[in-house]
Amino acid sequence: MPQLHDSGSRLDAQAQPSMHHDDFARIFGLETEYGVSVTGVYTPVDAGQVAMTMFQPVVRQARSTNTYLDNGARLYLDVGAHPEYATAEAICPFDALTNDLAGERIMRTMALDAQKRLRNNPATSNATIHLYKNNADSAGHSFGCHENYLVRRFIGIDAIEHILLPFLITRQIYTGAGRFDGERLLITQRASFVDETVSSATTRSRPMVNTRDEPHANPEEFRRLHVIIGDSNRSQWAILMKCATTHLVLCAMEDAARHNTLSELSAMALADPIAANHAVNEHGAYANIALANGKTLSALEIQRWFLDHANEFLSTHATAVELTLRTDPLCSPAWIAEQWEWALDMLGDNNIEALSHVVDWAAKRMFFTRLEERGSVAPARLQQLDMDYHDVANGKLYNSLCSHGYMRTFATDQQISTATHTPPAHTRAQLRGAFVREAKAANARYDCDWTQLRLLQPVRMEATMLDPFSDVPNEQVTHIMDYLEHLSGHDSVDMPV
Amino acid sequence: MPQESQRITPQAQENTQSDEHVASQQGQGEAAQAQSDDLDSILDDIETVLETNAEEYVNSFVQKGGQ
Repeated sequence: MPQLHDSGSRLDAQAQPSMHHDDFARIFGLETEYGVSVTGVYTPVDAGQVAMTMFQPVVRQARSTNTYLDNGARLYLDVGAHPEYATAEAICPFDALTNDLAGERIMRTMALDAQKRLRNNPATSNATIHLYKNNADSAGHSFGCHENYLVRRFIGIDAIEHILLPFLITRQIYTGAGRFDGERLLITQRASFVDETVSSATTRSRPMVNTRDEPHANPEEFRRLHVIIGDSNRSQWAILMKCATTHLVLCAMEDAARHNTLSELSAMALADPIAANHAVNEHGAYANIALANGKTLSALEIQRWFLDHANEFLSTHATAVELTLRTDPLCSPAWIAEQWEWALDMLGDNNIEALSHVVDWAAKRMFFTRLEERGSVAPARLQQLDMDYHDVANGKLYNSLCSHGYMRTFATDQQISTATHTPPAHTRAQLRGAFVREAKAANARYDCDWTQLRLLQPVRMEATMLDPFSDVPNEQVTHIMDYLEHLSGHDSVDMPV
Repeated sequence: MPQESQRITPQAQENTQSDEHVASQQGQGEAAQAQSDDLDSILDDIETVLETNAEEYVNSFVQKGGQ
């Protein structure tokens, strides 16, 4: 992710102690890189060219392939010509889900619009653009879906490695999106391509957790945990659950750190995280995982250990966690723990059918198995269907599974459509969204990053928003918004005082 | 707000399973028939995908790696 405007160093002046330092509030965010391809053409079309065609309208408006939207999200073209969408800051998993699904919808519209333009050209009149929310192309190039969690700074990198990593590696048994590699269906999209555990690099090597320190908040109090090991999911349940279960584990870690008992949570530290990740990818819940303490447990047993500890934590802190998730219509602590336990029980029973309504890899396995029961299916066909499942522009399989009620959905069409223009509530994304909307309405040139709003023309103005939990405009934001309102209401441009 | 009916709770899952259990008691043939109709309608939906050359489709998706 290019950090064109890393404002980390500018933040100190405004830094105020956060009112959330001592509770369990969290900011959630999802960054998704999409893959592109074109079929129905005589000569192959380069992925970079397709991506540029998709971004033409963005460039016309923003004069850049990097822009922020009125729902608070960031839309840009990333390295390797991947269209990328980063959700706005959300304070609960459901808001992160709807903002992410809004991203799918925005990307789909851009792809179909580009397809229309391609088809206007006689040479590409039958072109079909595919936009894959997956993590690998057919040649084995990989791209990511990263999760961001705002974490209290007293959770150190070693705790992330010894406590969180075993959780993240094993949670894939129910959040894995599945990938048919030409021979077999693996549990995850991504595990085959991850080659490091914890590192600050993302393009030279692929770590499971990135330690680059850009909290986009008061750096004295928070760090941003950048999780790289996750898959791009189509299943709405999987998107919710990867955020929700990780949140509970992080809450339990923060609570333990406050009581100086963090080391008690490192019993699941792994002997070899890379080997464990490959084992989960191949064998799922029953993968044997060697622990640093010499024991061997299955991935399922490790997940049960984390669920037990999350439940133990909730037995005294459920109300406090409930309070921070109060705006989530679905993910109460009780719901998360119940869903988590249900998924582990189904995995324990090897009940793939039950899981297949909410777990991506299980849905693929059920469908592929039933297809093969009708007669032999060529590996290339399964690979194609695997890719089609992730195509948000012209894919048929996933939508069909949803419309026949096979795959369960949790966000309504209306909620997703609202989220394409409405930022998540109770976060600074509200301010960014309003700024983008007003700047566009006033025909002003603007620019943003996560902590800054910048007006470029007709006048230069800046506002810094350091607190991701605040949707209340500070003096600078009020000033810039007043000016935009004034600009919209007048033909001639008067400079504000 | 998602409707209550959209929530899957372990309770709801159990109900679904017990419904299936009842169905299987009534006759496994019926359940198998329902499953097969289901698969048929999905196959109808993805007909255009199945008509294309799978290898060409797969090989057309090559791009540089990302993060």
